[in-house]
Amino acid sequence: MKKSACIIVLALLLFITGLSQVAGIPREETLIVDVLSGRAGSPGNFNVFTSAWRNPDRGIQQLILEPLWIVDPTTGEVINALASEEPIYNKDFTQMTIKLRKGCYWSDGVEITADDIVYGIETAMKYTAMGSHDTFNLNVKKVYKTDNYTVVFELKEPNARFHANFIDRWGGWRPFPKHVFEKVDDPITFDFNPPISSGPYVLKDYDQAGYWTLYEKREDWERTPTGMLYGEPKPKYVLFYYYGETSNKVIAQANHNLDMTDLTIEAFRALTQRNPYTRAYRIEYPWIVNVDPCITGLTLNNEVYPYNIKDVRWALTLAIDIVDYIGIAFDGAAPMGVLHLPPTPYYLKVYYEPMEEWLKNFTLDIEVNGQPFKPYDPSATLRAAQYARERGYTVPNDINELKEMFGPGWWKYAPDVAEQLLIRNGFKRDKNGKWLLPDGTPWKITIINHPSPSHPSNRNGLAAAQQWRNFGIDVNVVTSESIQDITFFGNYEVSTNWPAPEPWGGHPDLDRVLSPFHSRVYKPIGEYAVQNGPTSRWTNPKLDKIVENMEKIDWNDPRNLELGMEGLKLLIEEMPTIPTFGYPGVVGWDEYYWTNYPGAENPYTQPYHHWPNLKYMLPYLEPTGRK
Amino acid sequence: MLFIKRYLLPRIVQFLVVVFVGITIVFFVPRLTPVDPVQQVISQITSQGAFMDPAAVDALRQSLTELYGLEGGMFQQYFAFWGRLIKGDFGPSLFQFPTPVMDLIMISLPWTAGLLITTTIISWIIGNLLGGLAGYFKNKAWAKTLDNISMVLRPIPYYIFSLLLLILFAYLIPIFPSAGGYSVGRRIGFNWAFISDLLIHSFLPAMSLVILGIAANFMTMKLIVSNIVAEDYVMYAKAGGLKESTIAFKYVIKNGLLPQITGLALSLGQIFGGALITEIVFSYPGLGTLLYGAINSGDYNLIMGVTSLSVIGIAGATLLVDLIYPLFDPRIRYR
Repeated sequence: MKKSACIIVLALLLFITGLSQVAGIPREETLIVDVLSGRAGSPGNFNVFTSAWRNPDRGIQQLILEPLWIVDPTTGEVINALASEEPIYNKDFTQMTIKLRKGCYWSDGVEITADDIVYGIETAMKYTAMGSHDTFNLNVKKVYKTDNYTVVFELKEPNARFHANFIDRWGGWRPFPKHVFEKVDDPITFDFNPPISSGPYVLKDYDQAGYWTLYEKREDWERTPTGMLYGEPKPKYVLFYYYGETSNKVIAQANHNLDMTDLTIEAFRALTQRNPYTRAYRIEYPWIVNVDPCITGLTLNNEVYPYNIKDVRWALTLAIDIVDYIGIAFDGAAPMGVLHLPPTPYYLKVYYEPMEEWLKNFTLDIEVNGQPFKPYDPSATLRAAQYARERGYTVPNDINELKEMFGPGWWKYAPDVAEQLLIRNGFKRDKNGKWLLPDGTPWKITIINHPSPSHPSNRNGLAAAQQWRNFGIDVNVVTSESIQDITFFGNYEVSTNWPAPEPWGGHPDLDRVLSPFHSRVYKPIGEYAVQNGPTSRWTNPKLDKIVENMEKIDWNDPRNLELGMEGLKLLIEEMPTIPTFGYPGVVGWDEYYWTNYPGAENPYTQPYHHWPNLKYMLPYLEPTGRK
Repeated sequence: MLFIKRYLLPRIVQFLVVVFVGITIVFFVPRLTPVDPVQQVISQITSQGAFMDPAAVDALRQSLTELYGLEGGMFQQYFAFWGRLIKGDFGPSLFQFPTPVMDLIMISLPWTAGLLITTTIISWIIGNLLGGLAGYFKNKAWAKTLDNISMVLRPIPYYIFSLLLLILFAYLIPIFPSAGGYSVGRRIGFNWAFISDLLIHSFLPAMSLVILGIAANFMTMKLIVSNIVAEDYVMYAKAGGLKESTIAFKYVIKNGLLPQITGLALSLGQIFGGALITEIVFSYPGLGTLLYGAINSGDYNLIMGVTSLSVIGIAGATLLVDLIYPLFDPRIRYR
């Protein structure tokens, strides 16, 4: 009796285990990646060309869409994808010409030509709900082709950055097939299912509940920019699966059911205990991705007293011990960034290194020991390395390697100077050492913080609170799901929004970073700011001038780089927002089925599975042969 | 006629008032939060990196406000909403524009309904039966054991319990899938391959709900029965020499079920709200995550769609209980 019961239970378990496998898709030929943006709301809709949100990172932008240009923050390149060369402007920037790559085909066998581009732009301009509708209507007077591979835009006003609307950096205008869309009554309600692909994969199947989407390699992959530029993608299938909570991702990768995912650093550590094949961007500490083109930090509301005083903003900066700060936030694993630019290897080379002498000589309008105070501390890198060693991690001695790991330096921890700056503005301490405002009331800072404890913004908020409390300021941290709306309306003192808009990541042009600070987009408190930078409500006529000069010249003009540096210097002098560390992305890669991911030892392309550049990574992946 | 006037009509009026007030509240509450659906869409488009000229952002905000029908005063929007709702139209989802809200709900509703109706009924039947028996035979060893198990299970936070099941049966003993509603590559259809796959994927989410549901029903029912066994009519039945099983089922448990029927109806009415934690822990499709996403993105129409169904569901279930209660309770029937 007992024996037969055991047999029944065993048979049931085998039956169950058998059913839990992926049905009919060979695992060793499939790359499984996580979906960052969640469960697809309307899974049967692949029309990402409207202004609605369709979860493009469930493989749509990574596998079946090729843009005209795409930026790679690891190599620093702006890659010509469907375009065969860089945009061509006339002298006064009122005309832009795009040359298309020849021999690229949609997955249904129709060639991709200038007709697709012209039709796409005209359709976007015609329908309000199409993506880029307003952008094109504001800028484009006329668009036409001069031959099958050449498109000309005549612009309403001179615009040396018009091509920026076509550069894919987790978004951007991408061509769609004219021969499909022109046959439908309404391109807005059209679900584009099955989608016709310009990329190296086609849709094979999708979950009608929105959790997964499966793609299969195109037989004619060589007729796509990916195939032409990088060769044949290795996985036959790519499965995008939304696993949800971090615990599910850990379980899935521990069971080798998830090859590429994003994680928290704590989850990554837990996973490495369970799966010897799991690795991060770096094989050893600090593990994190250091090529993410995003700087994190603190945003001060420059229209709220006392953050409208430059000395106060600088005092708050100098009250931070950056090594301790990053220790609290990420156990020292994030790279410090002193500029309003992420300290990626690319920007270290283009901006940080050329500006280092200026940083070393930069002085604040205050004297220490009879000398103007120089706040820059290049030795912060070595202090960060020492912190890591004391925590038991092995780190190299080479200073250049350390700069890439921990960032090239930050501001001195100078609470004494911070105190002087405050005192000269009428602040004082009470008998307990707590800071009082000039009117004698206690100084209390409220930081509005991101709600997710694993988010770098949240960690910034907690670290800043700790640092400023140590300095004697009463700090209250309020987390809110509505942080974006609250801060964009300006109803805050200090927030953990990005301190500056994200740069391209792969070109010296800083118009993306600086132009949102221009006074023309200023919104007073109570009105919605347009981007992260303007939430600080800081404007400056000097910056306006820099931006205006920038926009008059080609983005490849050497003067553009100089203007970018001028803008960065002004942001440092004024310190409207406080950059702290580059975005410390944590990826978990399972090397059980696939290897040769673009890790720090071989950074051939950007490392994220949710970026549209994933298609350019796939030709480099290698199957391990495990079944 | 008297039944309609004195019993049916007041309850129908009450149902309509509850629905009207409930829907009115859920119309206004999201609009009073600082979340702006237009800005959420713009942020989603720009936050990851797509370039947008600030002037174009302003123009886009204006276009989307018009497109989403968010122009005009709140009351103007309110009356327009009722006009649409009477025709059964919740309008388009703002975040997934122009996909109709009902289409999005219909993607998730079958999953939620399938899981929650089944688990609610199973846990109600088993929990009440065991609770009733344990309450009546409270001195038996098995009753004490069940009581102890329930006391241990009942206070465990649902999130912890479901996570425990997930780690145990999807990782340490990986016999069940950790996520999803069915296997990749499987075609939805009325065939054994799909049904068995669906059952396997639903097993852990269902178990998490059923086990804790049984424990909850068990404890409530046991408490109710503990009071009933001390009633005179039960003592009288015992003194009259009736069989224990007859007393337990026909005199005690049957009477104890009356308040539990109300609980069942309300639980069934609540399914339109989804089971958010179950869906998050097991990555199981359903209305909970749909509603959660809608709240985060300020998708007023979708919030209205899901919550209106929930209001109607709960009010409808209450009305139904009121109407069928006389069938279970002769005292009300005779009144």
